[in-house]
Amino acid sequence: MKNYFKSKILVVVAAVFCFASCSEDFLDRPPEDSYNVEEFYSTNAEVAAAANHLYSRPWFNFVSNVSWGIGELSSGNARTWDARNSEFGTFAITGAHGTLTQAWESLYAVIAQANSVINTLPTNVSADISEDVTNNSVAEARMIRATAYFYLVRIFGSVPIIEDNTQYVLDPQVPRNRVEDIYQFITMDLEYAVENLYDRTSNPNYEVGRVSSNSAKAMLAKVYLYEENWDMAYQLSNEVINSGAFSLMEDYNDLFLLENDNNVESVFALQWTDSGSYSEGNALQSFYGSSGITGFADGWSALGPSISLQEAYEEGDRRYYATIMEPGAYYPDLNGGYTVPESTNFQGTGVGIKKYVVGNVGGAQQSYPNNTYIMRYAEVLLIKAEAAIKGGGPANEGLQALNEVRERAELDPLDSYTFEDVFHERRVELALEGEFWYDVVRQGPDFAVDFLADQEKGTYDQSVTPAVVTSEKFTPTMDDLLFPYPTNEIQNNPALLEEPVPYDFNQSEDQE
Amino acid sequence: MLFFAAFCLITQLVAAQDAVTGVVTDSQGVPLLGVNVIEKGTNNGTTTNFDGEFEIVVGDTGTLVFSFVGFLSQEINVSAGEEISVTLDEDSQSLEEVVVIGYGTQLQEDISGSVSRISAEEFENVPQVSVDQLMQGRAAGVAVTKNSGQPGAAVSVRIRGVNSITGSSEPLYIIDGVPVSGEAGSEGLSPLAALNPNDIESVNVLKDASATAIYGSRGSNGVVLITTKKGKIGKSNLSYSGYIAVQRPTNKLDVMNLQQYATHQNNVAAIYELDPQMEFLNPSLLGPGTDWQAEIFDDALQQNHQISFSGAQEDINYFISSSYTDQEGTVIGSAFDRLTVRANINANIKDWIKTGINITASRTNDQITLNNASNGIISLSLLNNPATAVYNPDGSFAGPVTADEIAYGTRNPIAEALSIQNTVERNRVLGNIFLEFDLPYNFSFRTELGGDFGNTLRDRFQPTYSYGNIESGQNQYSATRENSDFWIMKNLLTYTNTFNEDHDLTVLLGQEVQESSWQGVTAQDGRFVSNSLPVLGQGNANDLVDQYIGSSALESYFGRAIYSYSNRYNVTASLRADGSSKFAEGNKWGYFPSVSASWRISNESFMEDFETLQNIKLYGGYGEVGNQNIPNFAYGVRLTPISTGLGTGFEYANYKNEDLTWESSTQTNLGIDFALFNSRLNTTVEVYNKVSKDFLFQFASTDFITGGASPGAIQAPYINLGEMVNKGIDVTLSYNTIGDSDFNWSSTLTFSHYKNEVTKLLGDLVINQALYISDSNQNITLTQVGEPVGMFYGYQVEGLFRTTADLENAPIQFGRPVDDALFGTTWLGDIKYKDVNGDGVVDSDDRTVIGNPHPDFTFGFQNNFSYKNFDLSVFLQGSYGNDIFNGVKRTLTAGSSYYVNQFPIVLDYYNINNTDGQQPRLVRGSEANPNIRISDRYIDDGSYLRVQNLTLGYTLPSDVSERLHLNNLKIYGSVQNLYTLTNYEGYDPEVGTFNQNTLLMGVDNGRYPSPRTFTLGLNVEL
Repeated sequence: MKNYFKSKILVVVAAVFCFASCSEDFLDRPPEDSYNVEEFYSTNAEVAAAANHLYSRPWFNFVSNVSWGIGELSSGNARTWDARNSEFGTFAITGAHGTLTQAWESLYAVIAQANSVINTLPTNVSADISEDVTNNSVAEARMIRATAYFYLVRIFGSVPIIEDNTQYVLDPQVPRNRVEDIYQFITMDLEYAVENLYDRTSNPNYEVGRVSSNSAKAMLAKVYLYEENWDMAYQLSNEVINSGAFSLMEDYNDLFLLENDNNVESVFALQWTDSGSYSEGNALQSFYGSSGITGFADGWSALGPSISLQEAYEEGDRRYYATIMEPGAYYPDLNGGYTVPESTNFQGTGVGIKKYVVGNVGGAQQSYPNNTYIMRYAEVLLIKAEAAIKGGGPANEGLQALNEVRERAELDPLDSYTFEDVFHERRVELALEGEFWYDVVRQGPDFAVDFLADQEKGTYDQSVTPAVVTSEKFTPTMDDLLFPYPTNEIQNNPALLEEPVPYDFNQSEDQE
Repeated sequence: MLFFAAFCLITQLVAAQDAVTGVVTDSQGVPLLGVNVIEKGTNNGTTTNFDGEFEIVVGDTGTLVFSFVGFLSQEINVSAGEEISVTLDEDSQSLEEVVVIGYGTQLQEDISGSVSRISAEEFENVPQVSVDQLMQGRAAGVAVTKNSGQPGAAVSVRIRGVNSITGSSEPLYIIDGVPVSGEAGSEGLSPLAALNPNDIESVNVLKDASATAIYGSRGSNGVVLITTKKGKIGKSNLSYSGYIAVQRPTNKLDVMNLQQYATHQNNVAAIYELDPQMEFLNPSLLGPGTDWQAEIFDDALQQNHQISFSGAQEDINYFISSSYTDQEGTVIGSAFDRLTVRANINANIKDWIKTGINITASRTNDQITLNNASNGIISLSLLNNPATAVYNPDGSFAGPVTADEIAYGTRNPIAEALSIQNTVERNRVLGNIFLEFDLPYNFSFRTELGGDFGNTLRDRFQPTYSYGNIESGQNQYSATRENSDFWIMKNLLTYTNTFNEDHDLTVLLGQEVQESSWQGVTAQDGRFVSNSLPVLGQGNANDLVDQYIGSSALESYFGRAIYSYSNRYNVTASLRADGSSKFAEGNKWGYFPSVSASWRISNESFMEDFETLQNIKLYGGYGEVGNQNIPNFAYGVRLTPISTGLGTGFEYANYKNEDLTWESSTQTNLGIDFALFNSRLNTTVEVYNKVSKDFLFQFASTDFITGGASPGAIQAPYINLGEMVNKGIDVTLSYNTIGDSDFNWSSTLTFSHYKNEVTKLLGDLVINQALYISDSNQNITLTQVGEPVGMFYGYQVEGLFRTTADLENAPIQFGRPVDDALFGTTWLGDIKYKDVNGDGVVDSDDRTVIGNPHPDFTFGFQNNFSYKNFDLSVFLQGSYGNDIFNGVKRTLTAGSSYYVNQFPIVLDYYNINNTDGQQPRLVRGSEANPNIRISDRYIDDGSYLRVQNLTLGYTLPSDVSERLHLNNLKIYGSVQNLYTLTNYEGYDPEVGTFNQNTLLMGVDNGRYPSPRTFTLGLNVEL
C-alpha cells in the first residue's frame, strides 16, 4: 500500500519536472524603472521633450570648470593661485590636465547625446507624430551639436567629426578632421536648424527657453566671424536684429538675476534646475562666489578678475558693478541685500566677482538654477558691428549696433569706431562669460601672443597704501594657442596624432 | 517507539542482578546518548540513555561492542556485574570524509574535482566579523585580501587567479543552498556580513570547473559552499561563547611635524615668489604641531556574544542561536554592529519523508567614513596642516581660516568625520526549507525553496557646521530605502544504487528557477531649522525623490552522474543549461558540461604491500562554466530621466550590444593526494589551466565616443572581449600527530601560485584603467595581450639630473626646454625619466609596465599545539612578489603644494645648496609638474609575512567542569594581526582590490589599515 502511494509520488515528481519550465517571458526583463528607447517617442509630448537634456547635464563640466579656465584664466581676464587651474594662466597645460580633459569629455558628451537624438528620432517616432515636431527636435539637437563642435574646434583645432557614435563605439580608431571641414559641418547643422527650428515670435509651438530659428541664425553669424566671412556675418546678424526676435534688457545687471532667466536678450542659454541633483544645475557661482554667499559649503572664490580686466572698464561703465564686486558695494537683489565685505580680495586681486553669482536660491552645492548664457543678443549687435567695420556692411549701421550696447552700459556713444573698439567692447560686455580667449586667439597668432603676454595677472600688495602691483605676466608660445588633446585619448586613439583628413560629407547626406 | 521503551524496561527488570553497567562519554567527558551497546556475536543489545548510562545483561563474561555514528567503535571484555566507563574517540576521518559538493555530498575519497574544506574549528575564536575574512590562508588557491580595515568591509576573494575583468572576480557563495553574490555594494560592505561565523559548520570551496560546472553560469569565479550547524545526537547542550577585544592601529606614517612643515612652506613660498607666512619665519621656535593621525586613529573596542542551543533526538535535530557583535573602528566615526538569530531544524516526518528548515535573520549597522580616496579622511589627515589645531580653546572645531587655505582644500578631517553621519542599516532574512522523499527503486526526490529578503536603509546627514572659516552651509539629509527579494526553487531527483557490490552509481536530475528583484527610493531634504530632527519633510529644501526598480531571472536544468567502481575508480559527468534574462532573445541560453575522474591507487591490490605512501589518489577533470555578471538590459538602450529647466529630459544611458552573450571559462585540473608517515602527513598537489573567454567587459571606448566621465556621457556597451589564461599550482600539506599523548601538534601549510596572462583582446586593443587621485584622473594600469591583467603602467625613473652635462645629453623631456626656471622647463634636480622606446625624446610613448600586482605566491600556515588542557594556535599568512601602487606616497611627496603636509623626506629636495638631495627640486604647479607623473617611484614591494593570529587557550579539566555542572569551559586570549614583516612603506601591505575592480589590484589610495586586535574570550557549554 505504502509503496503504491510512493510510486504515485514518483509520478507526480515526473510531472513537476515536465511542467516546471517557466512561462515564456520569465527570462524577458526590459527596464522597469526607465523608458526603453524602442518604446519612447510615441507621443508629440515625448518627441518635443527629446532634446531637453541637451540643454543641461552634458554641459555641466564644461561650464563648471573649463569655461572660465580657458575663457578667463588663459585670456588674461582672471587669475588664480589654485594649483589645479593656475596652469591655464601660466600656459603650462598638458594633455594630462584634469580640467582640460573635462572640456573634451563634456563637449563630446553633448555630441554623443545630440547624435543619439538626431539618429534615433527619424526612425523611431510613431507615424502619427507631426513632422514639424520631429524636425524641430532634431534641429535643436543639430544646433546644440554645432555649438559643441564650435567650442571643440576653437579649443583643440582639428578633432574627429563623429556623426554616428554607434558606428565607432567598438572600434574607436578615428582620425581627426580638417578644421575647414569642421566649420563646414557646423555650418550645415546650423543651416538645418535655421530652416527647421520654430520661430520664436510667430510659431505658437515655440516653448520659452528653447533655441529658435533666429538663435541658429545668430550662432551662424558668429561662426562666419571666425571664417572671416564678413558679408555673411553682417547679413545674418542684421537679419536677426531686424527680425525683432530679441532685444536688449534695459539694465545690464538684470541679465544675471535668476528671475530673468530666458529674458528677451537670451539667444541660447543652458537650462538648469534647482532639483538639487548634482550636475543638473549651474555651478558657476560655486567658483565665482565667496564663502557663505550661496547658502552651501561652496563659494570658493576660485579666481579673481585680473588687473588688466579691472582696468579695461571705462569710468562709469554700468557693467563693472554687474561683473565685479568692489569691497563695500551693495547688491539689493542678492540674498535680500548684500554688502561686499571690505576684506574681499579674490586671489589677491582686491575685488570679487558678481556675474553669475545669484546667492542662496535653492538647488544644491554646485547646482544652481540660473541659466548659463551661450549667446546673448548684445553679442549679435557686436557681431554686426565687427562685420561692418571689417567691410561686411555699412559702418554707420555697425556704429549704431555698437552704441546700442554702449548706451545700455550707461556709456557715451561713439562717433566713429575701429575694430579695436569692438574688441574692447566684447571684452567688457562678455567678461567672465567664458568668451574672451576665443576673441583673442582668432585675431591670429602674432596678435594673440603679444596681447596675452601683456596681460597683468599679478596681485595687489595690500600691505602698503596705496596697494602696489606685484606683476605676473606669462608669454605663451604659438603652440599654446590650441590646447593639447587629452593624453588618454591619444593613447586610446593614436590616429589623433596623424594628419587631419578630409571629412566624408556623404555620410550625412545618406542619413538625411 | 513504545515497543522499544517497553523492551528496555523489561530487560532492566529481568536482569537487574548480573547486569553490566556503565557510562559512555566522548573524549571530553561529555555523556553520549544513543550509543549502541551490543554483546558481540549475539542479538543482545541496548542503547545509552540521556546521561550516557547503560545496563546490559551478559553471561559470566562477554565482549561488548560500543558503536556510535561519528565515533570509532570499541570492544571491551566484561564480566557480569562489572561497572565500566567507556570513552569513545571521535572518528576524525569519517567526519571529514563527507564533503559538500553542489547539490549533494560525496565522500572525500571519491571526489574527482578540486574541493577544499575548511572546518569551523579552524577559525573558531578568531575575532573577525564575517566568514570571507576567515577564509584567508585556509585553503590553497583561495586568495583573500581585505580591501579595508573598516569594520564590516568587503574583502576580495580570488579563487585561482583572476577570471574576469567585469569589475568583479568574486566567487558565488551558497549558504545552505541559497546563492549569495560575493560582490560588494556601493559602500564596499561585505555581503556576507549578515552571516554569523559562529553558526558555520563547514566551508567547502569548489575550485575547478569540474566541481563548479553544476552551478553553470555563476560558477566561473569558483563557488563557496557554506553549511551551518546542526544539532548532534547525544550532544544536547546550551553554550555561550563571547569575547571582548581591543583593536589598536598598527602604525603611523611619518609626516612632517610643525617645524618641518614650516620649513617646507617657506621653501614652497620661495618657489611661488610669495612672502613667507609670518608665523613660520623662524621654524625653530615652533612646537611639534598637531599630529593628525593620532587624532583620527584611536583604540577601538570590539565585543561578541553568542548563545546557542542544540541537540537531537532520533527524528529531529535542532540548532538555535543568537549573536551580537559590536565593533568600533580604529578610525574615528566608523563602526559596525550586528544582531543575528538562527534556527536550523531537521526532522524525519515518516521514515521516508524528511523535512528541514534553515533560517537566519540579521540586522547590521554600519557607520561609514569616506576612505581610500584622495579626499578620504585618512588622506586628509595625512595632508593636513600641522599648524592648525583640532579644537579651538572653546571646544569647537578649529579649521582653516584664510581663503587660500580653503582654496587649497585644507579641511578639518575630525570635524568632517564627526559631523557627517553616514549609516547603513541592513536587515536580512535568509533561509530555505526542504522536503525530501525516499522513493521506491532507489529514487529520492528533494524539493527546496530558498529565499534571501533584504531591506537596506541608508542615511546620510550633513548638519550645519562651521569650523575655521569653512561653512557647511545648509544642512542636508538623504535617505535610501531599498528592498530586495530573491527566491530560488529547486527540484532534485536522485537515483543511487549499487550493482554487484562494486558498481556504485548516483544520478542527479535537477531543475531550478531563481528570481531577484529590487526596488528602492532615494529622497533628499535640507534646510532644516536645526540639526536635531533630520527627517524628510521637516526641511525646506527642494525635495528630491528618485525610485529604482529592477529584476533578473535565471532558469536552469542540470544533471550529473557519478559512477564508482570498487572504491578505486570514479567518474563524474555533469551538464547544466542556464537561461538568463541578461541577454537578448537568441543568446539567453548557455550550456556548461564537465567530466572528471579519480583513481584510488592505494586501493589496488598490487599496492597492498607498498607502505611508504598511503591514500594515494590521482584525479583530474575538465569543465566549462559561465559568467553573466552584468547589469540588466545591456542588450538595449535605456533612457535616464534628468531634471532640466525645460522639464524632464531623457538622456541616452548606454550603447547597446544585442550580440552580448555568456562569458565562459574552461578549466582543466589535475591532482594527486597522498599521505606519508602512517597518514600523518597528508599532501594534496593540484595543477590547473583555466581559460576564460568572451569575458564580459564594459568596453573602454574613447571619450570622444562616450563623453568619458562627464555627466551625460553615454556608457560604452558591454561586449564579449578576448581571452585570458590562469595557470597555477595549489599545494596543501597537513601534519597531524595522531595519538593520545599529552602533547599534540597539527599544522597545515597552504601554498598557491598562479600565472595570469591575457591571450586575446578585441583587435589590438589595450585596456587602460585610470584612478582619480589627488585632483586628476591618472592612468594607473594597462592590460594588454601577453601580459597579466592590470599591470602598473608609467614611466621609469633613472634618477635626478645632477649635472648640466647630464641635462644636455639627455633626451628632451615632455617638450620642455632645458632652462633654469620655476616651471615649464627641465633643470637640475628634475627627475630623469628613461627614454624607453629610444626615440630620443621622453613623452607619453615612453610609459611601460612598471609593476605587477599579482603575487608570485601566497601562503598560509596554521599551527595548533595542545598540551594537556592548554592549546596554542599560530596562524601565519602572506604574499610574495606582488607590487603595490602607493598613491599616498605620490600625494605626500608631490612637494610643491602650499598648505599641504608632506613626508619629511621632501625636505631633502634638490637645490643649489643641497645637490645631494634625494627628492626632486620644487617647481610650481601640480598636475603639470612632470616630477609627479606616474612612475616606478610609487611602486612598492607588497610582499609580506604576517602573524595573522596567535591564540592561547585553556580548557578546564573535565572533572573540575563536571563539579561546576558544565560540559566544557574554555578561556582564551588571542592577538590578531600581531606582526607584519614587510618592506612596504604604506600603512598595510594587504591592499586588496580597489572597489573590487580587477583592473585596480594593489592600489593604495589611503586605505583604511587593518588594526591589531587583542582578544579575551570565553566558551562555556552546559
